[in-house]
Amino acid sequence: MRENEENGLPAGMAPEGKIEVPAGGLVLPDSEKGGIVNAWSLSLVGAVVVLTVLCTVWPDPYLEILRFLPGGLVVTFEVTILSIVCAIPLGLITGLGRLSHNRVINLIASTYVEVIRGIPLLVQIFYIYYALAKFLQVSGLTSAVIAISFCYGAYMGEVFRAGIMAVPKGQTEASRSLGFNKVQTMLFVVLPQALRTIIPPVGNECIAMLKDTSLVSVMAMPDLMQFGRSFAAKSYLYFETYTVIALIYLIITLLLSKAVSILESRLNYYDKRK
Amino acid sequence: MTNANSAEPIIRIEHVWKFFGELPALQDVSLHVYQGQRVVIIGPSGSGKSTLLRSINRLEEINSGLISVDGIDVNDPKNDINKIRQNLGMVFQQFNLFPHKTVLQNLTMAPCRLRGMPRKEAEELALRLLNKVGISDKAHAYPAMLSGGQQQRVAIARALAMQPELMLFDEPTSALDPEMVGEVLDVMVNLARDGMTMICVTHEMGFARTVADVVVFMDKGQILEVGSPEDIYEHPQHPRLQQFLKQVL
Ligand SMILES: Nc1ncnc2c1ncn2[C@@H]1O[C@H](COP(=O)(O)OP(=O)(O)OP(=O)(O)O)[C@@H](O)[C@H]1O
Ligand SMILES: [Mg+2]
Repeated sequence: MRENEENGLPAGMAPEGKIEVPAGGLVLPDSEKGGIVNAWSLSLVGAVVVLTVLCTVWPDPYLEILRFLPGGLVVTFEVTILSIVCAIPLGLITGLGRLSHNRVINLIASTYVEVIRGIPLLVQIFYIYYALAKFLQVSGLTSAVIAISFCYGAYMGEVFRAGIMAVPKGQTEASRSLGFNKVQTMLFVVLPQALRTIIPPVGNECIAMLKDTSLVSVMAMPDLMQFGRSFAAKSYLYFETYTVIALIYLIITLLLSKAVSILESRLNYYDKRK
Repeated sequence: MTNANSAEPIIRIEHVWKFFGELPALQDVSLHVYQGQRVVIIGPSGSGKSTLLRSINRLEEINSGLISVDGIDVNDPKNDINKIRQNLGMVFQQFNLFPHKTVLQNLTMAPCRLRGMPRKEAEELALRLLNKVGISDKAHAYPAMLSGGQQQRVAIARALAMQPELMLFDEPTSALDPEMVGEVLDVMVNLARDGMTMICVTHEMGFARTVADVVVFMDKGQILEVGSPEDIYEHPQHPRLQQFLKQVL
Protein backbone atom coordinates (compact mmCIF):
# COMPACT_ATOMS: atom_id res chain seq x y z
CA MET A 1 0.00 0.00 0.00
CA ARG A 2 1.39 3.35 -0.96
CA GLU A 3 1.47 5.76 1.92
CA ASN A 4 0.88 8.94 0.03
CA GLU A 5 -2.07 7.76 -1.95
CA GLU A 6 -4.42 7.93 0.96
CA ASN A 7 -4.08 11.67 0.86
CA GLY A 8 -4.98 12.01 -2.78
CA LEU A 9 -8.62 12.85 -2.70
CA PRO A 10 -10.81 12.07 -5.66
CA ALA A 11 -12.03 14.94 -7.73
CA GLY A 12 -15.27 16.71 -6.95
CA MET A 13 -14.56 17.85 -3.42
CA ALA A 14 -17.53 19.28 -1.71
CA PRO A 15 -17.06 22.97 -1.05
CA GLU A 16 -16.13 23.28 2.57
CA GLY A 17 -18.92 23.50 5.05
CA LYS A 18 -22.04 22.72 3.09
CA ILE A 19 -23.06 19.42 1.66
CA GLU A 20 -25.84 18.99 -0.76
CA VAL A 21 -28.62 16.90 0.57
CA PRO A 22 -28.93 13.96 -1.80
CA ALA A 23 -32.44 12.80 -0.99
CA GLY A 24 -35.54 14.81 -0.24
CA GLY A 25 -34.83 16.36 3.10
CA LEU A 26 -36.59 19.36 4.50
CA VAL A 27 -35.14 22.77 4.12
CA LEU A 28 -33.48 23.42 7.45
CA PRO A 29 -34.60 26.49 9.29
CA ASP A 30 -32.01 29.12 8.57
CA SER A 31 -30.86 30.42 11.91
CA GLU A 32 -29.35 33.53 10.37
CA LYS A 33 -32.66 34.77 9.07
CA GLY A 34 -34.05 34.48 12.64
CA GLY A 35 -37.11 36.52 13.48
CA ILE A 36 -40.50 35.29 14.57
CA VAL A 37 -42.01 35.16 11.10
CA ASN A 38 -40.25 32.64 8.89
CA ALA A 39 -41.36 29.70 6.84
CA TRP A 40 -40.64 27.31 9.64
CA SER A 41 -42.60 29.02 12.40
CA LEU A 42 -45.41 29.86 10.00
CA SER A 43 -45.78 26.20 9.01
CA LEU A 44 -45.58 24.96 12.57
CA VAL A 45 -48.02 27.47 14.00
CA GLY A 46 -50.30 26.96 11.01
CA ALA A 47 -50.30 23.19 11.40
CA VAL A 48 -50.90 23.28 15.14
CA VAL A 49 -53.65 25.89 14.83
CA VAL A 50 -55.46 24.03 12.05
CA LEU A 51 -55.28 20.76 13.96
CA THR A 52 -56.52 22.37 17.18
CA VAL A 53 -59.35 24.18 15.46
CA LEU A 54 -60.45 21.05 13.62
CA CYS A 55 -60.44 19.02 16.81
CA THR A 56 -62.33 21.59 18.89
CA VAL A 57 -64.88 22.68 16.33
CA TRP A 58 -65.57 19.21 14.88
CA PRO A 59 -64.53 16.77 17.58
CA ASP A 60 -66.43 14.22 15.55
CA PRO A 61 -64.64 13.05 13.44
CA TYR A 62 -61.32 14.89 13.92
CA LEU A 63 -60.78 14.19 17.61
CA GLU A 64 -61.87 10.60 16.96
CA ILE A 65 -59.23 10.25 14.28
CA LEU A 66 -56.57 11.83 16.47
CA ARG A 67 -57.44 9.47 19.34
CA PHE A 68 -57.16 6.50 17.03
CA LEU A 69 -53.62 7.24 15.81
CA PRO A 70 -51.11 7.03 18.72
CA GLY A 71 -50.58 3.30 18.27
CA GLY A 72 -49.51 3.92 14.68
CA LEU A 73 -47.29 6.78 15.72
CA VAL A 74 -45.40 4.48 18.06
CA VAL A 75 -44.73 2.04 15.24
CA THR A 76 -43.64 4.87 12.95
CA PHE A 77 -41.10 6.00 15.54
CA GLU A 78 -40.02 2.45 16.18
CA VAL A 79 -39.32 1.79 12.51
CA THR A 80 -37.59 5.16 12.14
CA ILE A 81 -35.34 4.79 15.15
CA LEU A 82 -34.33 1.22 14.35
CA SER A 83 -33.64 2.23 10.75
CA ILE A 84 -31.52 5.18 11.86
CA VAL A 85 -29.52 2.95 14.18
CA CYS A 86 -28.80 0.59 11.29
CA ALA A 87 -28.42 3.14 8.50
CA ILE A 88 -25.85 5.40 10.15
CA PRO A 89 -23.16 2.73 10.68
CA LEU A 90 -23.95 1.37 7.23
CA GLY A 91 -23.56 4.88 5.83
CA LEU A 92 -20.23 5.37 7.59
CA ILE A 93 -18.91 2.06 6.31
CA THR A 94 -20.16 2.84 2.81
CA GLY A 95 -18.62 6.31 2.87
CA LEU A 96 -15.28 4.95 4.03
CA GLY A 97 -15.54 2.20 1.44
CA ARG A 98 -16.13 4.75 -1.30
CA LEU A 99 -12.99 6.59 -0.19
CA SER A 100 -10.91 3.43 0.12
CA HIS A 101 -7.96 2.95 -2.18
CA ASN A 102 -8.56 -0.76 -2.06
CA ARG A 103 -10.14 -1.43 -5.46
CA VAL A 104 -12.37 -4.27 -4.32
CA ILE A 105 -13.78 -2.47 -1.30
CA ASN A 106 -14.28 0.68 -3.33
CA LEU A 107 -16.06 -1.22 -6.08
CA ILE A 108 -18.40 -2.98 -3.65
CA ALA A 109 -19.32 0.27 -1.91
CA SER A 110 -19.79 2.16 -5.16
CA THR A 111 -21.91 -0.57 -6.72
CA TYR A 112 -24.11 -0.67 -3.64
CA VAL A 113 -24.68 3.08 -3.83
CA GLU A 114 -25.28 2.97 -7.57
CA VAL A 115 -27.81 0.15 -7.39
CA ILE A 116 -29.73 1.51 -4.42
CA ARG A 117 -29.92 4.99 -5.84
CA GLY A 118 -31.38 3.62 -9.02
CA ILE A 119 -34.35 1.87 -7.43
CA PRO A 120 -37.32 3.69 -5.91
CA LEU A 121 -37.68 3.09 -2.20
CA LEU A 122 -41.18 1.73 -2.58
CA VAL A 123 -39.95 -0.87 -5.04
CA GLN A 124 -37.08 -1.77 -2.71
CA ILE A 125 -39.47 -2.22 0.17
CA PHE A 126 -41.69 -4.51 -1.86
CA TYR A 127 -38.68 -6.37 -3.18
CA ILE A 128 -36.94 -6.87 0.14
CA TYR A 129 -40.20 -7.77 1.82
CA TYR A 130 -41.02 -10.47 -0.67
CA ALA A 131 -37.45 -11.62 -1.11
CA LEU A 132 -37.04 -12.00 2.63
CA ALA A 133 -40.41 -13.67 2.92
CA LYS A 134 -39.35 -16.15 0.26
CA PHE A 135 -36.18 -17.27 1.99
CA LEU A 136 -36.56 -16.36 5.66
CA GLN A 137 -39.32 -15.99 8.17
CA VAL A 138 -39.01 -12.37 9.18
CA SER A 139 -41.53 -10.03 10.68
CA GLY A 140 -42.92 -7.03 8.86
CA LEU A 141 -40.98 -4.78 11.21
CA THR A 142 -37.67 -6.48 10.47
CA SER A 143 -38.09 -6.34 6.74
CA ALA A 144 -39.25 -2.71 6.91
CA VAL A 145 -36.16 -1.78 8.91
CA ILE A 146 -33.87 -3.73 6.60
CA ALA A 147 -35.36 -2.13 3.49
CA ILE A 148 -35.21 1.40 4.80
CA SER A 149 -31.73 1.10 6.31
CA PHE A 150 -30.41 -0.49 3.19
CA CYS A 151 -31.68 2.36 1.09
CA TYR A 152 -30.70 5.16 3.43
CA GLY A 153 -27.32 3.57 4.14
CA ALA A 154 -26.46 4.35 0.54
CA TYR A 155 -27.69 7.95 0.73
CA MET A 156 -25.86 8.46 4.01
CA GLY A 157 -22.75 6.89 2.57
CA GLU A 158 -22.60 9.80 0.15
CA VAL A 159 -23.07 12.27 2.98
CA PHE A 160 -20.28 10.66 4.99
CA ARG A 161 -18.02 10.56 1.98
CA ALA A 162 -18.54 14.24 1.22
CA GLY A 163 -18.06 15.17 4.87
CA ILE A 164 -14.79 13.28 5.13
CA MET A 165 -13.55 14.74 1.86
CA ALA A 166 -14.30 18.24 3.06
CA VAL A 167 -11.72 17.91 5.85
CA PRO A 168 -8.55 19.54 4.48
CA LYS A 169 -5.76 17.21 3.49
CA GLY A 170 -3.36 19.13 5.74
CA GLN A 171 -5.19 17.74 8.76
CA THR A 172 -4.38 14.20 7.74
CA GLU A 173 -0.80 15.14 7.00
CA ALA A 174 -0.34 16.86 10.33
CA SER A 175 -1.75 13.85 12.13
CA ARG A 176 0.34 11.35 10.19
CA SER A 177 3.47 13.44 10.69
CA LEU A 178 2.97 13.24 14.46
CA GLY A 179 2.98 9.46 14.15
CA PHE A 180 -0.72 8.62 14.20
CA ASN A 181 -1.62 5.73 11.94
CA LYS A 182 -4.46 5.81 9.42
CA VAL A 183 -7.12 4.53 11.78
CA GLN A 184 -6.12 6.88 14.60
CA THR A 185 -6.05 9.76 12.14
CA MET A 186 -9.55 8.93 10.96
CA LEU A 187 -10.90 8.54 14.50
CA PHE A 188 -9.21 11.43 16.28
CA VAL A 189 -8.71 14.01 13.56
CA VAL A 190 -10.81 13.52 10.44
CA LEU A 191 -14.13 12.13 11.68
CA PRO A 192 -14.63 14.62 14.54
CA GLN A 193 -14.22 17.44 12.02
CA ALA A 194 -16.27 15.71 9.37
CA LEU A 195 -19.13 15.20 11.82
CA ARG A 196 -19.72 18.90 11.86
CA THR A 197 -20.54 18.93 8.19
CA ILE A 198 -22.13 15.50 8.27
CA ILE A 199 -24.60 15.90 11.11
CA PRO A 200 -26.99 18.41 9.52
CA PRO A 201 -27.50 16.42 6.30
CA VAL A 202 -27.63 13.18 8.27
CA GLY A 203 -30.28 14.78 10.43
CA ASN A 204 -32.15 15.69 7.27
CA GLU A 205 -31.86 12.13 6.05
CA CYS A 206 -33.31 10.90 9.33
CA ILE A 207 -36.28 13.21 8.91
CA ALA A 208 -36.74 12.05 5.34
CA MET A 209 -36.56 8.52 6.68
CA LEU A 210 -39.37 9.20 9.12
CA LYS A 211 -41.51 10.39 6.25
CA ASP A 212 -40.58 7.43 4.10
CA THR A 213 -41.60 4.98 6.80
CA SER A 214 -45.12 5.78 5.61
CA LEU A 215 -44.28 3.58 2.63
CA VAL A 216 -43.99 0.52 4.88
CA SER A 217 -47.73 0.58 5.40
CA VAL A 218 -47.84 -1.28 2.10
CA MET A 219 -46.50 -4.26 4.03
CA ALA A 220 -49.38 -4.01 6.45
CA MET A 221 -47.13 -2.52 9.10
CA PRO A 222 -49.36 -0.87 11.71
CA ASP A 223 -47.65 2.51 11.40
CA LEU A 224 -49.23 5.95 11.42
CA MET A 225 -50.11 5.74 7.75
CA GLN A 226 -51.59 2.26 8.07
CA PHE A 227 -53.67 3.34 11.07
CA GLY A 228 -54.97 6.19 8.98
CA ARG A 229 -55.75 3.92 6.07
CA SER A 230 -57.67 1.48 8.19
CA PHE A 231 -59.60 4.26 9.92
CA ALA A 232 -60.48 5.79 6.59
CA ALA A 233 -61.51 2.44 5.17
CA LYS A 234 -63.82 1.82 8.08
CA SER A 235 -65.36 5.26 8.27
CA TYR A 236 -65.10 6.37 4.63
CA LEU A 237 -63.73 9.66 5.97
CA TYR A 238 -60.75 9.70 3.61
CA PHE A 239 -60.33 13.45 3.35
CA GLU A 240 -60.62 14.07 7.09
CA THR A 241 -58.31 11.21 8.03
CA TYR A 242 -55.56 12.15 5.61
CA THR A 243 -55.80 15.78 6.69
CA VAL A 244 -54.97 14.74 10.24
CA ILE A 245 -52.24 12.34 9.12
CA ALA A 246 -50.60 15.02 6.99
CA LEU A 247 -50.71 17.55 9.82
CA ILE A 248 -49.16 15.09 12.25
CA TYR A 249 -46.31 14.23 9.89
CA LEU A 250 -45.78 17.91 9.26
CA ILE A 251 -45.65 18.85 12.93
CA ILE A 252 -43.21 16.04 13.74
CA THR A 253 -40.83 16.81 10.89
CA LEU A 254 -40.89 20.53 11.61
CA LEU A 255 -39.97 19.90 15.23
CA LEU A 256 -37.21 17.50 14.26
CA SER A 257 -35.78 19.87 11.69
CA LYS A 258 -35.56 22.51 14.41
CA ALA A 259 -33.70 20.03 16.59
CA VAL A 260 -31.24 19.40 13.76
CA SER A 261 -30.57 23.08 13.27
CA ILE A 262 -30.00 23.58 16.99
CA LEU A 263 -27.57 20.69 16.96
CA GLU A 264 -25.87 22.21 13.96
CA SER A 265 -25.25 25.50 15.70
CA ARG A 266 -23.89 23.68 18.76
CA LEU A 267 -21.40 21.90 16.54
CA ASN A 268 -19.85 25.11 15.39
CA TYR A 269 -18.42 25.80 18.84
CA TYR A 270 -14.82 25.81 17.77
CA ASP A 271 -14.80 28.34 15.01
CA LYS A 272 -16.45 31.13 16.87
CA ARG A 273 -13.88 33.83 17.24
CA LYS A 274 -13.81 35.64 20.52
CA MET B 1 30.36 19.46 5.32
CA THR B 2 30.61 21.97 8.13
CA ASN B 3 29.82 21.08 11.69
CA ALA B 4 29.88 17.37 10.99
CA ASN B 5 30.57 16.56 14.58
CA SER B 6 29.67 12.89 14.55
CA ALA B 7 30.45 10.22 12.05
CA GLU B 8 26.93 8.89 11.39
CA PRO B 9 24.42 11.32 9.93
CA ILE B 10 20.89 11.37 11.43
CA ILE B 11 19.42 11.79 7.99
CA ARG B 12 20.96 10.05 5.05
CA ILE B 13 19.50 10.86 1.64
CA GLU B 14 21.18 8.92 -1.16
CA HIS B 15 20.51 9.25 -4.89
CA VAL B 16 16.82 9.89 -4.47
CA TRP B 17 14.50 10.13 -7.46
CA LYS B 18 10.90 11.09 -7.27
CA PHE B 19 8.48 11.47 -10.15
CA PHE B 20 5.01 12.97 -10.28
CA GLY B 21 3.86 11.25 -13.43
CA GLU B 22 6.47 12.22 -16.01
CA LEU B 23 7.77 15.12 -13.98
CA PRO B 24 10.95 14.47 -12.02
CA ALA B 25 10.46 16.37 -8.76
CA LEU B 26 13.71 15.00 -7.31
CA GLN B 27 16.64 14.01 -9.49
CA ASP B 28 19.43 12.03 -7.89
CA VAL B 29 19.35 14.04 -4.68
CA SER B 30 21.85 13.20 -1.95
CA LEU B 31 22.23 14.97 1.39
CA HIS B 32 23.49 14.10 4.86
CA VAL B 33 22.32 15.84 7.99
CA TYR B 34 24.21 15.38 11.22
CA GLN B 35 23.22 15.69 14.86
CA GLY B 36 22.78 19.33 15.84
CA GLN B 37 23.05 20.64 12.31
CA ARG B 38 20.80 23.42 11.05
CA VAL B 39 20.13 23.03 7.35
CA VAL B 40 18.29 25.63 5.30
CA ILE B 41 16.94 24.70 1.86
CA ILE B 42 16.34 27.46 -0.67
CA GLY B 43 15.34 27.45 -4.29
CA PRO B 44 12.73 28.71 -6.73
CA SER B 45 9.10 27.61 -6.61
CA GLY B 46 8.61 24.08 -7.87
CA SER B 47 12.26 23.13 -7.36
CA GLY B 48 11.35 20.16 -5.15
CA LYS B 49 12.08 21.59 -1.70
CA SER B 50 8.81 20.47 -0.16
CA THR B 51 9.00 17.15 -1.92
CA LEU B 52 12.44 16.51 -0.45
CA LEU B 53 11.34 17.48 3.03
CA ARG B 54 8.16 15.41 2.82
CA SER B 55 10.08 12.41 1.56
CA ILE B 56 12.06 12.35 4.79
CA ASN B 57 8.98 11.43 6.84
CA ARG B 58 7.41 9.60 3.92
CA LEU B 59 4.54 11.98 3.31
CA GLU B 60 5.82 11.48 -0.23
CA GLU B 61 7.05 8.11 -1.34
CA ILE B 62 10.20 8.14 -3.42
CA ASN B 63 10.71 6.11 -6.59
CA SER B 64 14.33 5.16 -6.05
CA GLY B 65 17.28 5.85 -3.80
CA LEU B 66 17.51 5.65 -0.05
CA ILE B 67 16.37 7.82 2.83
CA SER B 68 17.26 6.73 6.32
CA VAL B 69 16.69 8.26 9.74
CA ASP B 70 19.06 7.04 12.44
CA GLY B 71 20.09 4.31 10.07
CA ILE B 72 16.49 3.13 9.57
CA ASP B 73 15.24 3.03 6.00
CA VAL B 74 11.98 5.01 6.03
CA ASN B 75 10.69 3.38 2.86
CA ASP B 76 11.23 -0.19 3.97
CA PRO B 77 7.76 -1.56 4.71
CA LYS B 78 9.28 -3.70 7.46
CA ASN B 79 10.02 -0.55 9.46
CA ASP B 80 7.13 1.08 11.30
CA ILE B 81 6.81 4.50 9.68
CA ASN B 82 4.60 5.72 12.52
CA LYS B 83 7.40 5.12 15.02
CA ILE B 84 9.89 6.89 12.76
CA ARG B 85 7.56 9.87 12.37
CA GLN B 86 7.21 10.25 16.12
CA ASN B 87 10.85 11.20 16.10
CA LEU B 88 10.51 13.74 13.27
CA GLY B 89 8.61 16.92 14.07
CA MET B 90 7.06 18.66 11.09
CA VAL B 91 5.78 22.21 10.74
CA PHE B 92 3.67 23.15 7.72
CA GLN B 93 3.17 26.37 5.86
CA GLN B 94 -0.55 26.28 6.67
CA PHE B 95 -0.08 25.41 10.38
CA ASN B 96 -2.60 22.56 10.20
CA LEU B 97 -3.61 22.77 13.83
CA PHE B 98 -6.53 20.56 14.77
CA PRO B 99 -9.40 23.06 14.87
CA HIS B 100 -11.67 20.90 17.01
CA LYS B 101 -9.12 20.70 19.83
CA THR B 102 -7.97 23.44 22.18
CA VAL B 103 -4.37 24.58 22.00
CA LEU B 104 -3.53 22.43 25.00
CA GLN B 105 -5.25 19.39 23.50
CA ASN B 106 -3.40 19.93 20.23
CA LEU B 107 -0.18 19.53 22.22
CA THR B 108 -1.17 16.70 24.54
CA MET B 109 -2.94 14.49 22.03
CA ALA B 110 0.08 12.83 20.47
CA PRO B 111 2.17 12.33 23.67
CA CYS B 112 -0.85 10.86 25.49
CA ARG B 113 -2.05 8.58 22.75
CA LEU B 114 1.21 7.61 21.12
CA ARG B 115 3.67 7.62 24.00
CA GLY B 116 1.18 6.70 26.69
CA MET B 117 2.16 9.74 28.71
CA PRO B 118 -0.16 10.40 31.67
CA ARG B 119 -2.47 13.35 31.03
CA LYS B 120 -1.09 15.43 33.85
CA GLU B 121 2.48 15.00 32.73
CA ALA B 122 1.53 15.77 29.12
CA GLU B 123 -0.23 18.95 30.20
CA GLU B 124 2.78 20.08 32.19
CA LEU B 125 4.99 19.43 29.19
CA ALA B 126 2.52 21.27 26.95
CA LEU B 127 2.42 24.29 29.21
CA ARG B 128 6.21 24.38 29.37
CA LEU B 129 6.36 24.33 25.59
CA LEU B 130 3.64 26.96 25.21
CA ASN B 131 5.60 29.10 27.61
CA LYS B 132 8.67 28.58 25.50
CA VAL B 133 6.88 29.74 22.35
CA GLY B 134 5.30 32.60 24.29
CA ILE B 135 1.58 31.77 24.27
CA SER B 136 0.88 29.98 27.55
CA ASP B 137 -2.09 32.29 28.11
CA LYS B 138 -3.90 30.77 25.12
CA ALA B 139 -3.79 27.17 26.33
CA HIS B 140 -7.57 26.84 26.44
CA ALA B 141 -8.37 28.76 23.28
CA TYR B 142 -9.35 27.08 20.03
CA PRO B 143 -6.97 27.61 17.09
CA ALA B 144 -9.52 29.75 15.21
CA MET B 145 -9.23 32.36 17.93
CA LEU B 146 -5.49 32.79 17.37
CA SER B 147 -3.57 34.90 14.89
CA GLY B 148 -1.52 33.18 12.21
CA GLY B 149 1.72 33.80 14.06
CA GLN B 150 0.27 32.37 17.24
CA GLN B 151 -1.08 29.36 15.39
CA GLN B 152 2.29 28.64 13.86
CA ARG B 153 3.99 28.89 17.25
CA VAL B 154 1.44 26.42 18.62
CA ALA B 155 2.16 24.15 15.66
CA ILE B 156 5.86 24.23 16.51
CA ALA B 157 5.07 23.46 20.15
CA ARG B 158 2.82 20.61 19.07
CA ALA B 159 5.63 19.05 17.08
CA LEU B 160 8.03 19.56 20.00
CA ALA B 161 5.62 17.85 22.38
CA MET B 162 6.63 14.51 20.86
CA GLN B 163 10.22 15.40 21.83
CA PRO B 164 11.52 14.70 18.34
CA GLU B 165 15.13 14.34 17.47
CA LEU B 166 14.76 16.46 14.37
CA MET B 167 12.44 19.20 13.14
CA LEU B 168 11.32 19.71 9.56
CA PHE B 169 9.97 23.14 8.62
CA ASP B 170 8.28 23.72 5.28
CA GLU B 171 8.12 27.47 4.70
CA PRO B 172 6.77 28.11 8.20
CA THR B 173 6.50 31.86 7.70
CA SER B 174 5.28 32.08 4.11
CA ALA B 175 1.59 32.13 4.98
CA LEU B 176 1.99 34.80 7.64
CA ASP B 177 1.35 38.51 7.56
CA PRO B 178 4.73 40.27 7.54
CA GLU B 179 4.36 41.61 11.08
CA MET B 180 4.04 38.04 12.41
CA VAL B 181 7.06 36.56 10.70
CA GLY B 182 9.44 37.78 13.40
CA GLU B 183 7.72 36.08 16.32
CA VAL B 184 7.84 32.70 14.57
CA LEU B 185 11.45 33.12 13.48
CA ASP B 186 12.41 34.02 17.05
CA VAL B 187 10.98 30.72 18.22
CA MET B 188 12.94 28.89 15.54
CA VAL B 189 16.16 30.72 16.39
CA ASN B 190 15.75 29.78 20.05
CA LEU B 191 15.14 26.20 19.05
CA ALA B 192 18.33 26.23 17.02
CA ARG B 193 20.25 27.73 19.96
CA ASP B 194 18.99 24.85 22.13
CA GLY B 195 20.78 22.53 19.74
CA MET B 196 17.79 21.10 17.86
CA THR B 197 18.66 19.48 14.57
CA MET B 198 16.53 21.22 11.94
CA ILE B 199 15.89 21.21 8.23
CA CYS B 200 14.08 24.37 7.15
CA VAL B 201 12.74 25.32 3.78
CA THR B 202 12.64 29.08 4.07
CA HIS B 203 13.43 32.21 2.15
CA GLU B 204 14.19 34.19 5.31
CA MET B 205 17.80 35.03 4.61
CA GLY B 206 18.26 36.69 8.00
CA PHE B 207 17.29 33.45 9.65
CA ALA B 208 19.55 31.42 7.39
CA ARG B 209 22.50 33.67 8.13
CA THR B 210 21.89 33.63 11.89
CA VAL B 211 21.40 29.94 12.46
CA ALA B 212 22.18 27.85 9.41
CA ASP B 213 25.25 25.66 9.34
CA VAL B 214 24.49 24.58 5.82
CA VAL B 215 22.46 26.18 3.07
CA VAL B 216 21.28 23.94 0.25
CA PHE B 217 20.23 25.41 -3.09
CA MET B 218 17.79 23.37 -5.16
CA ASP B 219 16.60 23.95 -8.68
CA LYS B 220 14.50 21.71 -10.96
CA GLY B 221 14.67 18.81 -8.56
CA GLN B 222 18.43 18.90 -8.15
CA ILE B 223 20.73 20.08 -5.42
CA LEU B 224 23.01 22.49 -7.25
CA GLU B 225 25.02 23.94 -4.42
CA VAL B 226 25.68 23.24 -0.75
CA GLY B 227 27.67 25.51 1.51
CA SER B 228 27.86 27.78 4.53
CA PRO B 229 25.62 30.87 4.50
CA GLU B 230 28.66 32.98 3.53
CA ASP B 231 29.49 30.67 0.64
CA ILE B 232 25.95 30.66 -0.64
CA TYR B 233 24.96 34.27 -0.15
CA GLU B 234 28.35 36.02 -0.66
CA HIS B 235 30.15 33.74 -3.09
CA PRO B 236 27.55 31.82 -5.04
CA GLN B 237 29.22 29.61 -7.64
CA HIS B 238 26.44 28.16 -9.76
CA PRO B 239 24.97 30.60 -12.30
CA ARG B 240 21.41 29.54 -11.45
CA LEU B 241 22.05 30.30 -7.77
CA GLN B 242 23.49 33.68 -8.71
CA GLN B 243 20.43 34.38 -10.78
CA PHE B 244 18.08 33.16 -8.03
CA LEU B 245 19.72 35.37 -5.41
CA LYS B 246 19.49 38.37 -7.72
CA GLN B 247 15.76 37.78 -7.98
CA VAL B 248 15.04 37.36 -4.29
CA LEU B 249 17.35 40.08 -2.97
N1 LIG C 1 1.09 15.88 -5.42
C1 LIG C 1 1.67 16.30 -6.55
N2 LIG C 1 1.24 15.88 -7.75
C2 LIG C 1 1.82 16.28 -8.89
N3 LIG C 1 2.86 17.12 -8.95
C3 LIG C 1 3.35 17.59 -7.80
C4 LIG C 1 2.78 17.21 -6.54
N4 LIG C 1 3.47 17.83 -5.56
C5 LIG C 1 4.42 18.57 -6.18
N5 LIG C 1 4.36 18.43 -7.52
C6 LIG C 1 5.25 19.05 -8.49
O1 LIG C 1 6.57 18.69 -8.15
C7 LIG C 1 7.43 19.79 -8.30
C8 LIG C 1 8.13 20.11 -7.01
O2 LIG C 1 7.17 20.56 -6.09
P1 LIG C 1 7.53 21.06 -4.65
O3 LIG C 1 6.25 21.33 -3.96
O4 LIG C 1 8.45 20.09 -4.01
O5 LIG C 1 8.30 22.43 -4.93
P2 LIG C 1 8.77 23.53 -3.92
O6 LIG C 1 10.20 23.73 -4.17
O7 LIG C 1 8.35 23.16 -2.54
O8 LIG C 1 7.97 24.78 -4.41
P3 LIG C 1 7.29 25.98 -3.58
O9 LIG C 1 8.39 26.94 -3.27
O10 LIG C 1 6.31 26.54 -4.55
O11 LIG C 1 6.68 25.38 -2.37
C9 LIG C 1 6.58 20.94 -8.81
O12 LIG C 1 6.71 21.00 -10.20
C10 LIG C 1 5.18 20.55 -8.42
O13 LIG C 1 4.27 21.06 -9.35
MG1 LIG D 1 6.99 23.97 -1.12
